[in-house]
Amino acid sequence: MATTAIPSETSPRSAAWPGALLVMGRVALGLIFLYAAYAKLHFEGEWHLRDYHFFFAMAIDSYKMLPISAVQIMARVLPWFELALGGLLIAGVAVRWIGSITSALLLVFIGAMTRAKILGLEINCGCFGNNEKLGTATLIRDSSLLFLALAVTIGAFLIKKRQDKVSS
Amino acid sequence: MKSHPVRQLAVLTLAALCAVATAICATAQTKAPTPASAKADAQAANPNFVKAIGNPNAPITMEVFGDFQCPACRGFFEGTTKQVIDDYVIPGKVYLIHRDFPLEMHPYARQAARLANAAAEFGQFEAIERALYDHQDEWSAKGNIDEVIASNFPAAQFKKFQTFETQHISEINASIERDRALGMQRNVNQTPTIYITAHGKTEALPGGGVDYKLLKSYFDYLLRQ
Repeated sequence: MATTAIPSETSPRSAAWPGALLVMGRVALGLIFLYAAYAKLHFEGEWHLRDYHFFFAMAIDSYKMLPISAVQIMARVLPWFELALGGLLIAGVAVRWIGSITSALLLVFIGAMTRAKILGLEINCGCFGNNEKLGTATLIRDSSLLFLALAVTIGAFLIKKRQDKVSS
Repeated sequence: MKSHPVRQLAVLTLAALCAVATAICATAQTKAPTPASAKADAQAANPNFVKAIGNPNAPITMEVFGDFQCPACRGFFEGTTKQVIDDYVIPGKVYLIHRDFPLEMHPYARQAARLANAAAEFGQFEAIERALYDHQDEWSAKGNIDEVIASNFPAAQFKKFQTFETQHISEINASIERDRALGMQRNVNQTPTIYITAHGKTEALPGGGVDYKLLKSYFDYLLRQ
């Protein structure tokens, strides 16, 4: 008995690679966030789990945006928040929402960096460790990260939408 | 041909990944070598011109790579260093060392550093540092340092600084160069850059100066250890 192949809009193989790229994107973003957290907790050749927040607070304060009390809280929390975001992105947990939070966080970082550049502040970025000077290269790098985070977030939303469409 | 939005996003993600990888490679930072003991460096780098305040045996040593013509250095001195001197240096908790790091963009920074080195030889480093920063606006435009700073000292004493500076110009320049070389060795790329040594470890603080409250909380933490 002759069989006829049913033509489909997308073959299974071509339908899989956007998903694979999305995985690559979120894992890469997750690793970058893990590294950002690591660089704030481990520097000068050793772990600084007990005093990292002093150094990071000084870096945050150099942006001249927040009161000292807020700077101190942010310095204590942010590395662990980045660590959690990185871990969740790699694990693929709630990618749409974690991606959205990551994009929002990067948007805040880029806003602060742009403001510092406009004001002509000669400061350190504080992005990956405490001794990286804020400059055009750091702004371009963080903008690329935002681009990646947005691509991952929008991709995750679109894939979810397609899956919902197929299942209904 | 119909283009698929998910596929377009996948291509976009791939492009973003490439952009991120390139940007990270471009901004990869070089790790600064961990400096040796600051006190040992102070003696080695400045055998004659010790620009330091306080007790050399204090539990904490704070080194400031500074430029007398740099506005950020003045801001750090006025907002932080003066309080550090009152609250930590005078009570013997912090030993404060100044390192000359005159930047090329400041034409009178070296001249100011030479005068500070000469004054240091007469035990007047703290006084001249205050005078240079307090009156930075007045001398940094025209370079009339002697004219502006002289009024802060008795005439005879200031004359001694000037004479010493003239007679020992090559030694003073060598001292400034030693400080600069030490800074270059530690990858100092802006002023002020601060190093804190305590419990046998030296840590670089984020460059550009530090708020007094934050520095105070770090000092208190170190003193509690």
